[in-house]
Formats: sequence, C-alpha cells, structure tokens
Amino acid sequence: MNAGIYVHIPFCLTRCGYCDFNAYAGLDGLKPSYLEALLSEADLAAPAWDGQSFVSVFLGGGTPTTVAPADLRALLTRLRDRFELDDRAEVTIEANPDTVTDASLTALLDAGYSRISLGAQSFDTSVLAALERIHQPDSVRAAVAAARRAGYRNLSLDLIYGARGETLESWRRTLDEALALAPDHVSAYALTIEPATSLGRKVASGESPAPDPDLQADMFMAACEALAEAGYRHYEISNWARPGFECLHNLGYWERRPYVGLGAGAHSYRDDVRWWNVRPPETYIEMLARRQLPIGGSESLEPSDAYLEEVFLKLRILEGVPSSWFDAERYERYVQSGLLTDDLGTLVPTERGMLLLNELVLGLTG
Amino acid sequence: MTTDISLIRNFCIVAHIDHGKSTLADRMLELTHTVDQRTMRAQYLDRMDLERERGITIKAQAVRLFHEGYELNLIDTPGHVDFTYEVSRSLAACEGAILLVDAAQGLEAQTLANYHLARDAGLTIVPALNKIDLPAAEPDKRADELAHLLDTDPDRILRVSAKTGEGVPELLKAVIDRVDPPTGDPDAPLQALIFDSAFDTYRGVITYVRVKQGTLSSNARIRMFATRITSEAEEAGVMAPEATPVDSLGPGEVGYLVTGLKDVHQAKVGDTITLAGKSGASEPLPGYLEPKPMVWSGLFPAEGGDYSELREALDKLKLSDSALVYEPETSQALGFGFRVGFLGLLHMDIVRERLEREFGLELIATAPNVEFHVFKGDTETVVHNPAEMPPGGDYDRVEEPVVYATIITPAEYLGAIFELCQARRGEMVDMEYLTPERVEVHYVLPLAEIVFDFFDQLKSKTRGFASLDYEPYGFQESKLVRVDVLLHGEPVDAFSSVVHRDKAYQYGKQMTERLKELIPRQLFDVAVQASIGSKVIARETVKAKRKDVLAKCYGGDITRKRKLLETQKKGKERMRRVGRVDVPQEAFIAALRVDEGAKKR
Repeated sequence: MNAGIYVHIPFCLTRCGYCDFNAYAGLDGLKPSYLEALLSEADLAAPAWDGQSFVSVFLGGGTPTTVAPADLRALLTRLRDRFELDDRAEVTIEANPDTVTDASLTALLDAGYSRISLGAQSFDTSVLAALERIHQPDSVRAAVAAARRAGYRNLSLDLIYGARGETLESWRRTLDEALALAPDHVSAYALTIEPATSLGRKVASGESPAPDPDLQADMFMAACEALAEAGYRHYEISNWARPGFECLHNLGYWERRPYVGLGAGAHSYRDDVRWWNVRPPETYIEMLARRQLPIGGSESLEPSDAYLEEVFLKLRILEGVPSSWFDAERYERYVQSGLLTDDLGTLVPTERGMLLLNELVLGLTG
Repeated sequence: MTTDISLIRNFCIVAHIDHGKSTLADRMLELTHTVDQRTMRAQYLDRMDLERERGITIKAQAVRLFHEGYELNLIDTPGHVDFTYEVSRSLAACEGAILLVDAAQGLEAQTLANYHLARDAGLTIVPALNKIDLPAAEPDKRADELAHLLDTDPDRILRVSAKTGEGVPELLKAVIDRVDPPTGDPDAPLQALIFDSAFDTYRGVITYVRVKQGTLSSNARIRMFATRITSEAEEAGVMAPEATPVDSLGPGEVGYLVTGLKDVHQAKVGDTITLAGKSGASEPLPGYLEPKPMVWSGLFPAEGGDYSELREALDKLKLSDSALVYEPETSQALGFGFRVGFLGLLHMDIVRERLEREFGLELIATAPNVEFHVFKGDTETVVHNPAEMPPGGDYDRVEEPVVYATIITPAEYLGAIFELCQARRGEMVDMEYLTPERVEVHYVLPLAEIVFDFFDQLKSKTRGFASLDYEPYGFQESKLVRVDVLLHGEPVDAFSSVVHRDKAYQYGKQMTERLKELIPRQLFDVAVQASIGSKVIARETVKAKRKDVLAKCYGGDITRKRKLLETQKKGKERMRRVGRVDVPQEAFIAALRVDEGAKKR
C-alpha cells in the first residue's frame, strides 16, 4: 500500500485560541537544531521503511512557513534521498497567510511543495478575533493571489465555523468569500473546544459560551450546500475538493494506509502498530543529537481496536464500510432514518449522518 | 456485688441537638473518674463513626458512674424525631431526667417534646441551663422561660458549662438529691426492660436493659415476651464505661445482657425479658410497640449486577437495626431492588450511608414516600410504592398519614410559619406564648408534606430560629392522585409520585422541566410528559440531537478518537433504557434527589 510522510514543524508566530496541537510561539531559537534533528530522524527512520513506496508528503504544524524556504528545500531533498518517494507525489505545505510572500511561494513551489493549504479560518474580522487569529481577511486574499501568481495549481483553504458571535449569515458570507477565491480544496471544521487552550479555559470559566451544536449543524449544512453548488465534492466529513483534488495524504489516514511521522510528537502507523515521537521539541532535538530514534510511545492495535478504527475512519469518507460487517438490525434503522445510505452493500453516511458520526459508530459497533 | 438500691440513681439527659448533651456526659465521665484523662476523647459515648461525624446519637447507651458513694446510671437518649419511640423506652428505664437547655438559644421543640414524654413517664425533672460561658448566653431570661414551663422557681434551675465543667458537680448533686432511687423486689419474678439493642459480630445480640424487679443473672435462661424466644444468656454486665461483666443485675440496675441470640429482631426495644419456665413473670412491662416504618423509598443498585450484594447488605444491616424493613421490588426503569421502610428521613439517610460506606454499594434511591391506604368497596390496600397506587379514579378514597407537629418559634416569624404550614396543607390546632417573644404552635400536617423540604423551609423562613418536632397522628382522607412521568410515551415507574390534587400540576411541571435538562438529546425528539391517568398535565421536549463531536481526525488524532469512542461506548452500556430512550443513571439520581436538609434535624 502507498504510504505517506508527515513532517511536524512546531513553530508558530503566536498561539491561536482554539489550537491544542504540539505548537509553540517564541521557540524560534530552536529552529536550526530542530531542522538538523529532522534530517537526522529521516536518516534513522528510513531503513525500517525499506521497500515501501511513498506517494505523499505533508508538512504540518505549527506553521511550516515560519521556516526559511531554503531549509524546507533541504528537508524535502533529504526525504527524497532516504525514502522511495514517487516523482509525482503530492507534497503539501501548510501556511499561515501572514507568513508567505511572492518570493517565498515561488521558492517553495520550485523546491517541490506543489500543494499549499492556507489557514484562512474566516472572512469575518470578529470571528478571527474570537479565534484569536492575528491575520485579517485581506491577508488571505493576498496570499491566495500570490500563490496563484507563483504558479500554484493545487490550493486549499481551511475554514472554522461556530466561534463565539458567528451567525449563520456571517458563515455563509465566509463561504462565499472563500469560494470567490476559487480554491481547489476546502476544509471546513466545526470549532471544537479543547480544554488545554485559551478558548477552553474561557469556556470552562464561563467567560465564553461553548459553541451551540445546533447552530454548528446548520452551518455544516450550509457548507454542504454552498460547496456542492460550487462544484466541490464532499469526500470527507470536513473536506471538499474539486474532482481530482482530494488530499491524497489525508485520505491515507482514513483509508488506514501506512504513514511515517517525523518531528516532535509526530505519529507513525504501519500494520496495526502506531507509535509516536516525544512531544517537547527540546527532548526531540536532544535525542536525535544522540542519534536515538525519538520514540515516546507506541500501541499495538488489538483486532477489536483495528475494527473500531476501520469503521469510524472509513465512515468519514465516501468509501464507507461494507454492510456485511454488521447485523442488519444495527444499520437498517439508520438507513431508514436517513443517516446512512446502503449503496449495494456499502454503508455511507448522509450529510445528517456525518453530523452524528459518533452515534452511528457506537450504534453500529455496539 | 450489687449496690444498695437506695444508692442508685437512673437518669437521662433530654436536650436539643447541639445543646451540649454529649459534652456534658463527657464532663460527668471525667468528674467521676469513670474515664481517665488519658483515654478520654470528645463525645466518648457516641460509639459509631457515623454518630460522631453527624454529631448525633443514634443508639442509646447506658454508662455507670460512681460518685460520692452513689451509683449513677446515665442513659443516653437519641436526639432525633425519627427515634421518639426509642426515647420513650430510654425514659422508661429512668427515674429522673436532666432537662438541658442552651442558655443562648433557649427551649427547642425537640426538647419540649421529650420533656413532655419524660413528665408523662413520671420522671423527676432536673432543669439545667448549659453554655453559660457563652457571651450570647442569657441565663436569667432562659431560667424564667424554663421556670414558667416547669411551673417551678427559677432558683431551682441549675447553671452549667459542659465545656468548662463549671456547675457540673452541683448538677450531679442535684440528681442525687432530687431524683428518687428505684424500687423493686429482688425476689419477684424477673422483669427487665430492653431499652436498646445492638448486634456484635462476635457476640450476637446485646441488649441494654433496666431491671424493674427480680434478678437477672449472667447465665439465666431467658424469655422475650413479645417474640416468645427463649435463650441461654451468656453474660450480664455494666458499662463503666467499657463493658464489665457482673454476676447479676438486681432491681433498679442498668446494664447489658449478651443474649445468645443472633438477630436483633428477636430482642426488640421495648420488650420485656423474663426467665424462661415457671419462674418467669406472667405479665410484660407496659408500653411495647412494634417499630413502624413511616417513610419508604426504593433502593436500587446503580449497577444492575449488584442486586445480590444489596440483598446481602440489607440482611446484614437488619441484624443490628430492628426498625429496618424491606421487600423486593422490580422497577422497569431501575431493575431489581428493594422497597425499604424507615422510621424517618434521618433513619433513611443513615441506612443509605451505611450501605454505601460499609458495604461499598452505589445506590439509586427513589424519592421517599409515605404509606397510603387505598379504599375501594370493602377492601383496603396498603401502598408503599407510588407506582402501585391505582391510576386516577379507580378507588373510592385514599388516606395518608398525618403528624402532630410542635413548632417553637420567635413570635416575629409566626406569619411565615402560618404561611408555610398553610401551603403544606396543615391545620392549626392551637398556639401558646411561652414568653412574650416565644411561641409554641401545634399543627396537624400530612407526613408527606414534611418528608420533603419542610424542615429546610422552616429554618430558612425563620433564619434558623424555629424548631420542629412531630409525632404520628393517624391517617386522614386526602384528595391524592398519582402523577406519572412518561418518556417518549413510556411511563417511568421510578418517577411516579402520589401528590395532592392541587399540587399535581406543580409537581408535573417541576419533574418535566428537571428531566428536560437531565436527559441527553437522542436521535429523535423525546417528549417528557407528566400525567394523571391518561390526562397529560405537563410536557417538555428534549430536541433531537443533530451533531455530536465532529473533530478533525488526522494521523495524531486517531488513537485519542478511538479511546473517546470506547469511553462513550462504556457510558452507553451503563445507561438505562426506557422504551427507546437512553437515560444515564446520573439523570435518575439527579432527578430523584430530594433537597438536602430535611434530615439535618
């Protein structure tokens, strides 16, 4: 099976209010040694993946574009040296609109980063403020224009809905603004409040209200409608693409293909074993300086774990799961109530069903 | 060696909770060197942890003190309205009672009620004001109040500080001087009153007894009048204050008897012990009553599988709690459990706490209810469970228990009390000014109105100044109806309640509103209804859930997501199913929770 490479860049200009990823502002001093460590990890990790072909690379974070294009070029070159990476591999870089310029975008495309995913989040200034994002809607427009000028033919926008104060109308305007920029791919996420974040603390203390799940459901439906009308295909709960522009790398997670994760806190997976690197960038750097694989933990999936993952991951995408995996009584009620479709023995959630995916998974697997 | 009967004094202390009874007992133990300083601890006589923590005495205890040549038997009495009968049996073991009143707070309803019990039992009353060391104490005023009540001279009222020990020697002297010694013929047929009993894992049933006449020897072959059980006694003894065996207990003496029995139900409080065979007495002592539960509640294990553990725990508890009764009950919503009868709310609380603490059980308890008598034609049905009450109209009449309540309050709160009792369907009997500022009011109130938050309300409406006591007062006919609660059309038996017709709507509205908040949203709209028979009186809707967690799910999220699903799966397994509706047990517990406080008497 074709595998993917994930590289984690933990550096950010600032922390956003909703983000609980392994990301840090103010650690810029670590950048050179971190990049050095990434190159070492590629060296050390690659032998175990001998014979494995890779079809995608994804640089996520954090904010990968806080790293100089020359360093990112060196990194991709090292990955190509060490792993059997297909020449036509999909290579994605996540970018913050404020961290890209004409020059940097040109350099990145030239280095081989052929797909760019821009964190737009919203086109409503007050929603951006509620999310504690520092950029403005105009930066997104400018970044998209710059990317197109540089020659990007595969561009994705990330959006978040359901922040404090956002109305359905405002969300529809954000969708319209996003679509006006003609991205090739759109990810739209319902804001999830994580406890260990600035927003999480505000919600816990009552300073800020928790997102209204009914309003988020309406917003999800609005996204489905607007994006379908604009010709995008809804291929995963939170992802839409113009035909042929689905994110190959992310599909790998949902299709349970192998992936190797490089960088602090990155996860790897192969043959029902998952392992992950230590989270603190300093520890990660120290271990690699000693030529040690920076593994922080691992788990072997029991057949029941693997089954549960298979069900909930494949239900996220249009691939669906075979109905033969379940007793008819378990899924028929959902087909009848319009949460699942049974397409010649394959169960795929409807839009309403996607909203209730946890419920479906629990109901199906009992 | 038995003491000359003329040198014995048997007495108890009648006091309101917090007025210092246990502290006074501590000082007496010290003063008489019954307990040395080294082993002394606060509230020495309150044995059970539960008692010490709650600051109340559940089980009466008797302790023997020697003071200036006299044998003083201090019989501790329970201080709660649930245990009025036990109090009356303790009083029956005494010739005198110290009436102990807080010099700051004055007389309270509980004390007054027990004073009446003591006076009616013919006891000599030794009045005393406690806490005279407190800055807020008003001993002169309180002495006048007490003197008025007792129709005595204020000078006869002693003044003590149980905390500092001041006045305690004088109080003991007054007990010796004023209280009559017991009388009784040591050679007459044995009559010994059981005023308390306890269960010991190793020794079986231990009774606390007062010998009225005859002699109870350590190895006597004994017979219980009420239960007609005979047994070989194993040991007689006195509490001094630890158990100390003696050869025999003579007339007027107080002590314990290890009965050789294995179940407290065979040696009941209030029963009379005599000798087996021809030498036994022909008549028991007067006043024996079967313990009668006043309040009922369904107890269910939170985990269905714990039913047999709950049964075993109740069986064990019953060995030491003669007032505990229970019968198996099956609830559609809560599964297998028991309908348990209690003497009152405090008793209920103690039993529940002991089941949880001593037996490690997690319980769901239905709201407490009283017993109803349902009449149809010539038949009378006794109902302990609201779900067993016939639906609306299918009977001629219903009777509910009422109580005779005594409330003592500062006069300024009378209006608030009238209002409260009126709202609780009370009927005033009379009222009397104890002093120009303090009033004693009597009401007949349905017990069902008291078992909820009456006491809390009384306290909050009188800034804590009013006190309450009540005693059973028979049954009376009432316009009662059964209100059912339905989820998605399915009645939830655990939520059924019998309430007065005028309050049915309010109850229904309250329950549906509460459940609307507690029941998690399902995949469909859930109607939450309250009904009388087929008539819906309140309705709320739990709107269908449209979205659950939609978080993104990439490489690093998958493990976490799977674990979250597993946790949710376990949560779902713990849910109870009512028709098509999944209800977490937390929702049952929260919906059934009675406001705290009715028990903190």
